[in-house]
Amino acid sequence: MKTALFVPCYVDQFYPRVAIAALTVLERLGVNVDVPEGAACCGQPSANAGYARQGRSTLERFVDVYADYEKIIVLSGSCAVHVRLHAGEIIAHDRLAETAGIRVARRTTEFCAFLHDDVGVAALAGLGARFEERVAVHIGCHGLRGLGLAAPSELQIKPFDKVCAILSSVGGIELAELSRPDECCGFGGTFSVGEPDVSTKMGRDRLRDYRTHAATAVVSPDMSCLMHLDGLARRERLGVPMYHVAEVLAGTAGKA
Amino acid sequence: MSKRAFELPVLGQSAPVDHAGAAAVFNADVARTDWHDESLWFVREKRDRAAALVSDWEELRERASAIKEHALTHLDEYLTQFEASAIANGMHVHWALDADEHNRIVHGILEQAGAHKLVKSKSMLTEECGLNPYLEARGIDVVDSDLGERIVQLRKEGPSHIVLPAIHLKRGEVGETFHEFLGTPLGMDDPIALTRAAREHLRGKFLAADATLTGMNFAVAESGGFVVCTNEGNADLGMALAPIHIASVGIEKVIPRLEDLPVFLRLLARSGTGQAITSYTTHVHGPRDGQALHVILVDNGRTKQLAREEFWGSLKCIRCGACMNTCPVYRRSGGHSYGSTVPGPIGSVLTPGLDLERYASLPFASTLCGSCTAVCPVKIDLDGQLFRWRQHVTERGYSSSTKGLAIRTSVLLFDRPRLFRAVGALARLGQRIMPRAVVRFASGVWGRTREAPVPPRESFRTWYRRERPDGRRGVR
Amino acid sequence: MTTRDTILRAVRAALPPAVAAPTEYQRNEPPVSSADLLTRFTQASVASGALVLTCHGDPAPHAMHAAGSAREVLSLLPGIASTVATGTDRRALVSLELFVCTSPVGVAENGALWFATPDPCHRAALFLAERVVIVVSASTIVRDMHDAYRAIDVRATSFGTFVAGPSKTADIEQALVIGAHGPKELTVIIRET
Repeated sequence: MKTALFVPCYVDQFYPRVAIAALTVLERLGVNVDVPEGAACCGQPSANAGYARQGRSTLERFVDVYADYEKIIVLSGSCAVHVRLHAGEIIAHDRLAETAGIRVARRTTEFCAFLHDDVGVAALAGLGARFEERVAVHIGCHGLRGLGLAAPSELQIKPFDKVCAILSSVGGIELAELSRPDECCGFGGTFSVGEPDVSTKMGRDRLRDYRTHAATAVVSPDMSCLMHLDGLARRERLGVPMYHVAEVLAGTAGKA
Repeated sequence: MSKRAFELPVLGQSAPVDHAGAAAVFNADVARTDWHDESLWFVREKRDRAAALVSDWEELRERASAIKEHALTHLDEYLTQFEASAIANGMHVHWALDADEHNRIVHGILEQAGAHKLVKSKSMLTEECGLNPYLEARGIDVVDSDLGERIVQLRKEGPSHIVLPAIHLKRGEVGETFHEFLGTPLGMDDPIALTRAAREHLRGKFLAADATLTGMNFAVAESGGFVVCTNEGNADLGMALAPIHIASVGIEKVIPRLEDLPVFLRLLARSGTGQAITSYTTHVHGPRDGQALHVILVDNGRTKQLAREEFWGSLKCIRCGACMNTCPVYRRSGGHSYGSTVPGPIGSVLTPGLDLERYASLPFASTLCGSCTAVCPVKIDLDGQLFRWRQHVTERGYSSSTKGLAIRTSVLLFDRPRLFRAVGALARLGQRIMPRAVVRFASGVWGRTREAPVPPRESFRTWYRRERPDGRRGVR
Repeated sequence: MTTRDTILRAVRAALPPAVAAPTEYQRNEPPVSSADLLTRFTQASVASGALVLTCHGDPAPHAMHAAGSAREVLSLLPGIASTVATGTDRRALVSLELFVCTSPVGVAENGALWFATPDPCHRAALFLAERVVIVVSASTIVRDMHDAYRAIDVRATSFGTFVAGPSKTADIEQALVIGAHGPKELTVIIRET
């Protein structure tokens, strides 16, 4: 299967360690991925800020670059949701029954969703990852409700949690139960600067929940949430390290 | 005429609502923000427990949504059916195009009957229409009888929540208000004692009322009746005692059949307060003997919202308030920060339709976390509608020019991968070599409370090109 | 053009593409035993703030007991005498201490009891009385609101209500206070056969 890994702009620039970890994990699991060039972004930041029209060229470029891949693994829940929801709106010039945009939308997944749904949790034990921490998991709202990485607390459906299922394959890890396991962290893209007071308060409340439950590390499938939470935690010198799931699986978390 | 904190918006005359600014003021008192957040989260958790006991919860939501969609897409038929059957049941049916016409109709009914004392039960529609100041200016004594509504009415505030109007107030503040207006002892702040005092005070108002006004939770086209849900029994006292009953309702509240009622009633109170049902679920299918019963069907912008392809689904709302209780932004900014009769996520998709320029900040008062959509008993895609309103706000030029410039610059970079890499490398270098204070300043609003990410030496792309020289980069 | 016609015309012009009405709701779950229904009803009724009694045979003595020292009583239950006359001014019921009535159907999922009447005094009494006693037969308890609506005809009277517990409010700091504008106490007597 022709598979691609999409490294979002901010991960490429600020968190190369996360992309390297994700690539390493996929390679060790025998998943052959391309990391194509030509699309730095999916257009989500502009669209969520109300500039979908301006961000359209970015999304078009994304569709163009990934049009021929059978699986597109996105290293961020919110970017993956954006592609899945909006790539279908891109009208390609081909006359196929299914436009490239719809195809790309359908074939786009997220790193944890891919590991859980396509690779299978059983294979992850082979990675031999160990992480001796008491972990607070933050799935991120778009991964949670947009991609279905776990059962959201609002819905009355059978509980499941793909991220925790993945992390359960890691030796030595302990998962902290939180008071509000799926409360938003308050990042929200431009919300973080447009509504700085509420954003900060939401983030601090998440940090307090982690402290209350004695978490020693925070792990998330979405670095955008962590950029905000980690920024708040470092400003307040809380000393709670934050990692992407891929870093934990690759065994590189905390070993930079 | 009392001065109200939240006047009816007048098109083109009022300053735009600054949600972020109001939220900043709210957040300045951290302890109070925590208290507000926890009060509402408590209700959200009660809702979760109540919903968990209903084995067919998700199916009910699906059906409730389908019934509302059916009703709204056949609204003309159901409105005329309701009208005909209500008239057959002995009700007078009026139609109001806007708030002003609604208020004139109410006043006309009262005037004709020589009624001066009106007792209201909770009706967000009359808040929306600004009925109280209208009637007070014409010499009518208007009393809101729902406890929370009465509290905010005495304080000359608007409700901060559609189900819990005084959720922003502490017991001490209610005590002060009651001391001032009802003569309760200074310092008395026990909720039971305060509720008793309000009961005594309002009993007299109920007995003396010339007329009562209620809202409707549901109007049933098939039977020409309507349903009013309350816990306090205030609406029922008004309806049972007053010689005139006026029931105001938005035209979107009509449902087709009686058999639809249980679907909504099983969802409404559980979603709103976590109760299995409210204390009273009253069905009115005609006037009491000797009573005049007037129904006012109000448009006030609803047909405009119905015509909006992207937003008509917001009219499915049954006003349970669950989206407010769950919204992490509402909980931490308070209902008044929205400057709109209906606050929170549903208010932020309904109100922009009335005046987009004035309410341009509301669709941005959200992280698009989607909790509102998941909690909504009638499955309104609230986060999707907020996203779509954002597009309208920027297209009309109501967004800040700095944000627009930032977005256009980023798009310019994203669409030029080589330039993106070069600028990224330069920025990371700058961030690494510059003093921390400079970085903090340069990161602007972000940096007020947060550190910027520690810039790595190289981007992933640079690493990839070096470490995976044979890697398939899919260059096209 | 009248406002009515203006609105209806605007509605017609605005109508989104038609969505079909869903078919009648049939819960595809196994039926609940009558013992289970009774347990569920009792739990839900208690959760709504009601006091729940069970009796075999004549409920009047239990209602009398619940009545305590009440002097102003309006009763629709045989065996309990009314001390106030109906047909008087409803406002004369303002000091009513006790209202006793029966309900034709109770709802297990939420503890609600249907009460409908064409009599304006009885209607007012339900909300003016300090305390209310409602008698219901165990055999008439249904599982949910869908079944409840099948068991009643809401159109039969101009007024009908589902009562669940006494009147209450939590408008001050979410503190639950029993006894808002209506009754401060509701006693539910379940008559078992």
